[in-house]
Amino acid sequence: MADSFSKELPVIPSVPKELEREPLVLNKRPIGWISDQISGVAEGKTPKWWWALFIPSVAITGVCFAMIVYLMSTGVGVWGLQIPVAWAWDITNFVFWIGIGHAGTLISAILFLLRQKWRTSINRAAEAMTIFAVMCAGIFPLIHIGRIWLGWWLLPLPNSNSIWPQFRSPLLWDVFAVSTYFTVSLLFWYMGLIPDLAVMRDRAKSKIRQIAYGIFSLGWTGSNRHWSNYEKAYLLLAGLSTPLVLSVHSIVSFDFAVSQLPGWHTTIFPPYFVAGAVFSGFGMVLTLMLPMRKVCHLEEIITVRHIELMGKVILATGSIVGYAYGMEFFIAWYSGNPYEKFVFMQNRAADPFILGPLWGVEPAPYWWAYWTMVSCNVICPQLFWFKKVRTNMWIVFVISIFVNIGMWFERFVIIVTSLHRDYMPSNWAYYSPTWVDIWQFVGTFGLFMTLFLLFMRFLPTIAIGEVKGVTPQADPHHPMGGAKGGHH
Amino acid sequence: MKTIPPPCPEPESGQKYWRSMDQLADTPEFRQWLEREFPAGASEFTDPVSRRHFVKIMSASFLLGGLGTLGTGCRRPEEKILPFGKAPEGYIHGVPQFFATAMPTRGGAVPLLVKSHENRPTKIEGNPEHPDSNGSTDAFTQASILGLYDPDRAQRYTQAGHTISKEKALDALTAIGSSINAAKGARTAFVLEESSSPSRHRLLTALQFKFPQAKWAVYEPVDLNVNRRITGGAPYIKLDQASVILSLDCDFAGSEADTYRLIRGYAKGRKTEKATDKMNRLYSVEGLFTLTGISADHRLRVPTSQVVAVAAAIAAKLAPQNMQITSLAARLPLPAGVDAKWIEECANDLKANAGASVIMAGHRQPAAVHVIANLLNAALGNNGKTVFFSEIPQTTVNSDLPSIARDLASGLIDTLVILGGNPALTAPADLKWADAQAKAKTVIRVGQYEDETFAASPATTLSVPQNHYLESWGDARTSDGTLVPVQPLLAPLFDGLTELDVLAVLGELEVKKSYDIVRETFRAFAGAGNVEETWKTFLHDGFLAGSAPKGNDAPLGGDVVVKAFSTINPAVPTKDSLEVVFHRDLKVDDGRGSNNGWLQEFPDPITKVVWDNVVLISRKTSEELVVKNGDVVEIELGGNKIRGPIWVQPGFADNSLGLALGYGRQTTKAGGAGRIAHNVGLYNAYALRTSTGLNFAVGAKLTKTGETHVVACTQEHGSMEGRPIVREANKDQYEKAPTFAKNFDLESPNHTGHIAKEMVGLPPVERPAGIYEHPYTGYEKRGGQAGVTVKTILVSQQHQWGMSIDLSSCVGCGSCVLACQSENNVPIVGKDQVIRNREMHWLRIDRYYSGAAMKMASHLIDDPQAIFQPMLCQHCENAPCESVCPVNATVHDEEGLNVMAYNRCVGTRYCSNNCPYKVRRFNFFDYNKRSLDQLKGPYYGSPLTTSKDGEWNLLRWWKNPDAGTRPDDEWDLLKLLKNPDVSVRMRGVMEKCTFCVQRIEQAKIGQKVKAGMSGDVQLKEKDGTVPKVACQQACPAEAIVFGNLLDPNSRVSQLKKNDRDYDVLGFLDTRPRLTYLARIRNPNPKMPDYASIETPKTLQEYMKTQGSPFETHGHAGNESHGAPAAHAEKKGAH
Repeated sequence: MADSFSKELPVIPSVPKELEREPLVLNKRPIGWISDQISGVAEGKTPKWWWALFIPSVAITGVCFAMIVYLMSTGVGVWGLQIPVAWAWDITNFVFWIGIGHAGTLISAILFLLRQKWRTSINRAAEAMTIFAVMCAGIFPLIHIGRIWLGWWLLPLPNSNSIWPQFRSPLLWDVFAVSTYFTVSLLFWYMGLIPDLAVMRDRAKSKIRQIAYGIFSLGWTGSNRHWSNYEKAYLLLAGLSTPLVLSVHSIVSFDFAVSQLPGWHTTIFPPYFVAGAVFSGFGMVLTLMLPMRKVCHLEEIITVRHIELMGKVILATGSIVGYAYGMEFFIAWYSGNPYEKFVFMQNRAADPFILGPLWGVEPAPYWWAYWTMVSCNVICPQLFWFKKVRTNMWIVFVISIFVNIGMWFERFVIIVTSLHRDYMPSNWAYYSPTWVDIWQFVGTFGLFMTLFLLFMRFLPTIAIGEVKGVTPQADPHHPMGGAKGGHH
Repeated sequence: MKTIPPPCPEPESGQKYWRSMDQLADTPEFRQWLEREFPAGASEFTDPVSRRHFVKIMSASFLLGGLGTLGTGCRRPEEKILPFGKAPEGYIHGVPQFFATAMPTRGGAVPLLVKSHENRPTKIEGNPEHPDSNGSTDAFTQASILGLYDPDRAQRYTQAGHTISKEKALDALTAIGSSINAAKGARTAFVLEESSSPSRHRLLTALQFKFPQAKWAVYEPVDLNVNRRITGGAPYIKLDQASVILSLDCDFAGSEADTYRLIRGYAKGRKTEKATDKMNRLYSVEGLFTLTGISADHRLRVPTSQVVAVAAAIAAKLAPQNMQITSLAARLPLPAGVDAKWIEECANDLKANAGASVIMAGHRQPAAVHVIANLLNAALGNNGKTVFFSEIPQTTVNSDLPSIARDLASGLIDTLVILGGNPALTAPADLKWADAQAKAKTVIRVGQYEDETFAASPATTLSVPQNHYLESWGDARTSDGTLVPVQPLLAPLFDGLTELDVLAVLGELEVKKSYDIVRETFRAFAGAGNVEETWKTFLHDGFLAGSAPKGNDAPLGGDVVVKAFSTINPAVPTKDSLEVVFHRDLKVDDGRGSNNGWLQEFPDPITKVVWDNVVLISRKTSEELVVKNGDVVEIELGGNKIRGPIWVQPGFADNSLGLALGYGRQTTKAGGAGRIAHNVGLYNAYALRTSTGLNFAVGAKLTKTGETHVVACTQEHGSMEGRPIVREANKDQYEKAPTFAKNFDLESPNHTGHIAKEMVGLPPVERPAGIYEHPYTGYEKRGGQAGVTVKTILVSQQHQWGMSIDLSSCVGCGSCVLACQSENNVPIVGKDQVIRNREMHWLRIDRYYSGAAMKMASHLIDDPQAIFQPMLCQHCENAPCESVCPVNATVHDEEGLNVMAYNRCVGTRYCSNNCPYKVRRFNFFDYNKRSLDQLKGPYYGSPLTTSKDGEWNLLRWWKNPDAGTRPDDEWDLLKLLKNPDVSVRMRGVMEKCTFCVQRIEQAKIGQKVKAGMSGDVQLKEKDGTVPKVACQQACPAEAIVFGNLLDPNSRVSQLKKNDRDYDVLGFLDTRPRLTYLARIRNPNPKMPDYASIETPKTLQEYMKTQGSPFETHGHAGNESHGAPAAHAEKKGAH
């Protein structure tokens, strides 16, 4: 019986080697190892590389705040702004940082809803990055206004004069969009952290750590009830965050699209901005993850496969962005609006070597910015069609840097080139940043890095619980499953 | 051993008196005080505008002006009192008063009405009552009020470098006067400025009689009355009577005298209500590219030194019988490139309009050109029709500046009296005036500044601070000869003297106060009747009707002609022997305006350069000499050298360099330019200017130095890129297609542009419904459909304000820019900020050159047409700025104004980004509270790191947030200038043109008071209650018209029905309340250059890409509706 029964069992053909999916955690590491490895970054002695990065970052953060104090005490004129270019690096930096802040939520919310298990290795760090990037972004709209101390007038606060903000202004929408996005992202990130904070608490050796992690882990015990509530809440928040991923950058794009300035007044902006944001966000995730996995010895958890997948996202979004650039030109030509055409051809694309002479026009003053943008955003990511490129960590790192540069330039090109030569040729002018502009921007990198390094040092950079969930070992029936591999 | 005499016994009790000033000056404390080189209490001397002092001055001036509007001339004995115990009659606190006065100019005057707030003059307007004024002024006059409050003005009397009291100075003057008198004026020289004052004329005559041996000279660095000196009579030209005008380097719209009057006459002849109206025609022959040349229908570009050849050639055509002229014409070949047909046809046109033409010669031209102009005007029968001469008595002088300089140098002069002027700066370089002046034993200097002349002979100078004309009593004559009073609006801020005062003291005349002198002079004019009443009327009206002397023809003796013609030097400039033209700067004049920040920051109407002078050069010459904009070059002329930055000027004559006077001045401890003028401009053109070539000289060499200089320019791009921003056509095109201006525009047929359907007989198409109902759509609908219920909550039924600017009339002079600055407390920002494009002018004048679009920057064309367009807030009904402001700081008011609530503005600058006209201005710094030194980058002092007078600025700010970091003297004086009806904006807020809302509100309040219970609160143009906005009032061309669109008879409503009316960027559907009237040019089809301008050049550029506006074309004909005319009519009708 037993024989015949066993004969009836269908034989499951083993997956051919070449089709086998690479595991999300390499080397069949036991679950306990995962906990050790991830928590280890935050638990051991502070490594030298950390100090080597942290000290300059704090110093640059100091510069950031020094610039803010100088700006506030002296006037917006310390920047290179002028009429007609009344927005320049300030809003460029704002959109740049907000864009970077997109990857985190996309990874944690949309990929979660789409059951993309590979997200678990990178979502924590990406979300942290999102929050820090939004913090950096939030600085700029706040400080770019002429009377910073009155910035709260943008909030709809009831007052005796019954003066309300102007709800038709996209700047006001920004206030709501960005603050909502920040709040939800922070909640989402924090909620995901709770089980891991409990792990940290349980592993903590010092009293201070025990208390601190203890407070923030909100009494997590890992009970089934906890896990069940947690999963539900996580799903809800993921659902809540998903539209935000789309809305924030759409609304940021309205700052431009709602205006009537040629080069800004473009209906393609919302999707194009979202794609660009995801693109730049993944660029920044790669820029951060590649060194992090190296120095924290997380190559087996953030594997080459992860990097490759992110490369594919970059390739896809980069192509969308490239399509949008092309479409802008098409519409400018197709609309027959000479002002539009002027912006795209004579303000942006006309270079001194090929297009300018071809069209018979003077080179665009910012042609270099435009072509930097195109090279970095459209041409560079096309290399990701090649697996060799996707799997070469050095090349990926370099491309990710290019993506960051390119996306900063994209915003610069949109904002400055459109403004510097608009309708009335009499007020055309060339914009150049001042030293304060430059240090202000550099300073936000200091702030960003400081926060990120603190995060790396004190919090689990990878969602421990979730990574375990996607390993085969998490299956209790797996030979190495359950708690056999060691404590956790 | 020297015994020190015991001090004089002082009375034990009661008041202490000094027996003399010397006794006071002898006290040890005073000595010590005097001898400290920079006494810590220097302000005790130089800061007379402390609060206490201010109250004193103000109360004194209350007395002065407080006698009501009629009796302002009557001056009570000078007594300083405390504020009113009882208010003067007719005085209402907060309501400004207006006083008639006049600004004396070289040999003339601008009649004025000056606004005074609490007895501090705040705004200058022209006197519209004056028979020869429409209430406009020129730019210099508008800015002159800032000169009154200039903290760098001379504020003290000095002798031998020491500050002395006024009394002592007067004593010294009297002593010098009696010694001159004793010597009958021997070894004494007087250097005066040109003046039209009958009182000065009277005093000079008296003094010349008393001091028969004294030398008298009148010196003006820029002599605008050259014609008078040559011919004995200055032509008084009525341009409005002329159909054809030939300007021989006569920039009557810019650098000549009396521009405010000439522009008006010229513009009057160019206004068209309908296409068939007649227009005048202007021919211009010139080397510089001037405002007049830009306005001209035909411009002939020849070097300034060659204008005489063209003049002679034209004259030879017009007066072939005159042998002197024909022989001159034969002697002077036509300059290269001049088409003989140009000369011929121009002459034909003048001939055809004999009696209705005028030939004008500019002040830069030699006597011969003036003589030719006079001869031709006589030959064409223009005299008595367009050209008038009058017998205004002139002071005769027996010497001139060069001979006085020679006498000084050879020690023949002991006493030198310099009344006004600044010869140490402005005298021809070959006179070496400063050295010569130092040789006089005694120098009396009456001047408004402790300037170069003050510093030239500190040890021998008795320096007297001269009163500004707004604090002086005086008189003057306008160019037609009408007598005008110069009345003070406040007591002298620094207790100075006037020229009349000083002359009277020196001459030991009985009547010593200028007020009495002027009254005495007036007696001769008043004629029979009650002098007192005539005097009051004179002061009230600001002129004496009928005081112009009778006219005559210009006396043209054979001598004059022969002498003038024989001195013509036919040297032709080449690129190795360049011509240098010294021109009166349209900003700082001959240097007298150089410490005036408004003038320094007033963009040169043509180059748009501010805070600098440049070496103007033509495109061709610059290429031949391989120099480009900003290159510093060295110019050598007759052994003198200067270095200046190159500026390639389209339309400039080849082989010629244009040098602006009045820059490159320095300030040293001894005195000098003042803190504004210090080091503005690389070169001082006077250093190159000799008495043989005061206006131009040929033979200069130019070498490159390899250095470059950053020039601040408010308009970097000169081409319109074929965009229909300024629309223009020639007269015949206009006649064929009168509505052409509406038929420009391109992309969006739904809004404006293209011929409206109703105009071609088709039913009009409604605008598509908006998504968001603008409060003004209600107002719009009311016009379009009867019976539609409208929201009236936001809409006033009384007033809807609008403006119209006639581009045919505008000559670009810029009075409006400065009038706006003065009226609206617009700050200056300095060169560094202008380079960063942060100038604050609410009203700018855009200047476009026509030329190959986009290539303009590198290949400037040689003979461009240029156009001006005053650009200010358009007060769009659909304002793009309003919908993007997150805090509701810029909103619409019920009368159609786009208003700014400065207090609400947080400064996001989004409004500026969304403004298609870019007319909004942002306070990047606290421009009102920072001095120019603190506005220089790249590091702008933060209050956290800077201190003033040893006090940390943050602490200072904490104690008194009002004062800013400006030096106290600047702050104290400049705040007197501010218009109290307009907020002074702080940093971080946006600002822009308000259509002078303060004037509107004031008029409305006035009308409400007047209306009382009747409820008739509407301002009506026919009653004269509609206010004039500042730019409108200052505009000599009357190009700017403001008014109520709801009044169908208002001028602005009428103009909006004019078929030339169009909106700039109308396709954006911003629906601007400010519309423009297209410019019409009137070229002569027979002229040889007609082929190139058959269509105006900017229009040629437009047509290249967008098609012709003279025919209905493209989608326009099918879909367009709501053209601006129809739009305006709707507004007008309801």
